[in-house]
Amino acid sequence: MARATDHPEDRVSHVDHTGSPIQIELTDGMQSEEGSTGLPEAGDAIDTATFEQILEMDEDEDEREFSKSIVFDFFQQAEATFDKMDAALETRDLEQLSQLGHFLKGSSATLGLTKVKDSCEKIQHFGANKDETGTRDEPDDDVCLKRLRKTIEQAKQEFHDVEKVLRRFYHDE
Amino acid sequence: MLENPTDENVVRWGNEGDSFVVLENEKFTKHILPKHFKHSNFASFVRQLNKYDFHKVRHNNEENGQSPYGAGAWEFKHPDFKANNKDALDNIRRKAPAPRKSNTAADDIMIPTQQMDLVNTQLVATQQQLQQLQERYNELSVHHSMLLQELIGVQKTVVNHEHVMQNVMSFLHSIDAQRRRDSRVLNPFPQAGAQNGAPDGVAQPAEDDVPASPLQHASKLLSETNADVMLNPRNLEHMNEVSLRMNGTLTTPPPDYVRNGPRPTSRGTAPPSASSQSSMRLGDIDGLVYPVGQTNGIDPMFSEHIHNIPYAMPPKPPETADPQMPSAAARKKSHQIDPGWIRQPQILLVEDDPTCRRIGGKFLYAFHCSIDSALDGLEAVNKMNAGSKYDLVLMDIIMPNLDGVSACHLIRQFDQTTAIIAMTSNIRSDDISMYFQHGMNDVLPKPFTKEGLLSMLEKHLAHLKRPIHTLEAMVAPPMPALAHTSARQSLKDEDSPGKSPATASNWNSPAQMSGVSPVAPSVPDEYMSTVGAVQGNAVAYAVNNAPMPPAMAYNSSPQLPVPGRAPQGAHRRQISDISGGDDMSSSAKRQQMYAPPVRPQPMNPMQRPR
Repeated sequence: MARATDHPEDRVSHVDHTGSPIQIELTDGMQSEEGSTGLPEAGDAIDTATFEQILEMDEDEDEREFSKSIVFDFFQQAEATFDKMDAALETRDLEQLSQLGHFLKGSSATLGLTKVKDSCEKIQHFGANKDETGTRDEPDDDVCLKRLRKTIEQAKQEFHDVEKVLRRFYHDE
Repeated sequence: MLENPTDENVVRWGNEGDSFVVLENEKFTKHILPKHFKHSNFASFVRQLNKYDFHKVRHNNEENGQSPYGAGAWEFKHPDFKANNKDALDNIRRKAPAPRKSNTAADDIMIPTQQMDLVNTQLVATQQQLQQLQERYNELSVHHSMLLQELIGVQKTVVNHEHVMQNVMSFLHSIDAQRRRDSRVLNPFPQAGAQNGAPDGVAQPAEDDVPASPLQHASKLLSETNADVMLNPRNLEHMNEVSLRMNGTLTTPPPDYVRNGPRPTSRGTAPPSASSQSSMRLGDIDGLVYPVGQTNGIDPMFSEHIHNIPYAMPPKPPETADPQMPSAAARKKSHQIDPGWIRQPQILLVEDDPTCRRIGGKFLYAFHCSIDSALDGLEAVNKMNAGSKYDLVLMDIIMPNLDGVSACHLIRQFDQTTAIIAMTSNIRSDDISMYFQHGMNDVLPKPFTKEGLLSMLEKHLAHLKRPIHTLEAMVAPPMPALAHTSARQSLKDEDSPGKSPATASNWNSPAQMSGVSPVAPSVPDEYMSTVGAVQGNAVAYAVNNAPMPPAMAYNSSPQLPVPGRAPQGAHRRQISDISGGDDMSSSAKRQQMYAPPVRPQPMNPMQRPR
């Protein structure tokens, strides 16, 4: 777990290197909105309604103890899951990948992290030898693995984007 | 008055004691008449005397035509009017009077003619009114029972259709199941088969979705409507009975009839309108009825009805009203919500994902529930099997070790009653039907919202809700029904035509009839409109949230699936039976509100016995 905690910084810096324009946008949006709503504004990366109802459970609006711990636990959980995904990619364990995708899908959905959730859903489908909507079979494992690799990278990217927004929201940078 | 010595020089007995003499016409008129007859008109006094067969004694044949009492004296004679024979007074009757009037009149013999005439006319008018009323009432009763018959017939047809539909559904289901089984065989992931496809729900062939989805939907719809329809005919028939009863006699139905009659059929909306209607009519009567003291028929019925209707009704509205209230309120304020449990509900949260578990737990905590959690299906089954009692189980589906569906299946082997709710993002129709097949009571889609969770709790933990909450909720409801209870008088004017028909139709005659009665001449319009409303206002019913069962069944009110209802354990079923209203809650929303009605009952004991 210690490793997982260290990870976010690595990832964030990595993302910064790539200089993704999307992320800058997100960050700007967040800052401009922060003053008015106090909620992290991350475009369609975060479903505000879902996230808001978690924020509502905070007893103290400054500390945000509850939601903060949930969100930060989720960071760890996500990092750990991504690691497992990478490992499963190595061993071509599609079933494991599907389960991992489902697992992360559940928690990201609960937090309202829409983009991450969508990618995880695709991972779940690809792992199950399906196309990305889960409606058609894709019997070729190689095709699935290729798609998985791509989607997992995408999911990581999206996760780190939203992680940055959230960390900023919780004044943890 | 004749024996009063002070008036002797004005009026006295005749010399022979068989007549009386008015000696001084003027004084008699001014001073004595008013004392005894409330008027001072000698002419009318004389007319009255004539009516009672008194005759002026003429002295024409006597010498000079002079009366022995003086020139201005009037002497009146009646064969039975003797100073020494008071018994004979009873024989003094009005000439040719209507039997009833004679009775009244006999008591005060000297009623002046005008008054008598007035009374007469009034009586006749009243009688006419009564007759008209009677006719109208009969007519209405006939209409009403015709309508009822029609309705019952329609209901029976609907029920039959329902059964046919169910047959078709079960057939389709079997085909569908067959298909799924087949496709599962083809499924590249054989593991899916192990737990009835549960662990790998997503992996299921997508093709199944197409046929299953409408199937699932249809069966849900069916299960909703069916429950309603099944219960309602009884109400209707009962109503019919009541109406027949009332047809037979003009007397008011016994109070309990009144209570039972309108209540089950008219779900809250109608009863109040009935009461308000009648009360309104009462007002009309006061203003319009002739000042004819006690007329037979009308008044007694009235007070009876007024008594019965309003008091019988109020118990009902809370039930209906309540449902919408809490939810509306609960939906808004989302912070710390106290759903008003009688005791803390014990919830078992089965969830492998820590994020979901924590958030779910937090929400449940906010809803004042006591939470226990299990990390997977195996742990959940073990907990339940070890004797832990829960009011509700929230079960994730895809979990390590033992998935939610299998866990539910196992739990159902030893526990039939505890509500188990699937908590999952796999909400495709074939998934859902599988959940239900394995004993789940409901599905809470993931990611769940606080509102969704709360409504789920309220729906399935209805029996734990506190009645007080119900009352509080009722205080400010915008619903007419509600207002009616609290202030039915004030509402009478707002009574919309849409609602009154319901009244008229199920309560039928009393309100109607009494309402019509006083206003005989002006009635037709009113009457017509009411009847028209009864006949044509099916729409109104539906809109008004359906006081009538059929409307209910197909009502457009939020139709969230309540498939859990049917499969639910016996005790739940019972509750719904008792509450008498539960069955109608066809939406999660309604149902969740519905729950309260169960509890409020102690407050309205009279409505409890069905």
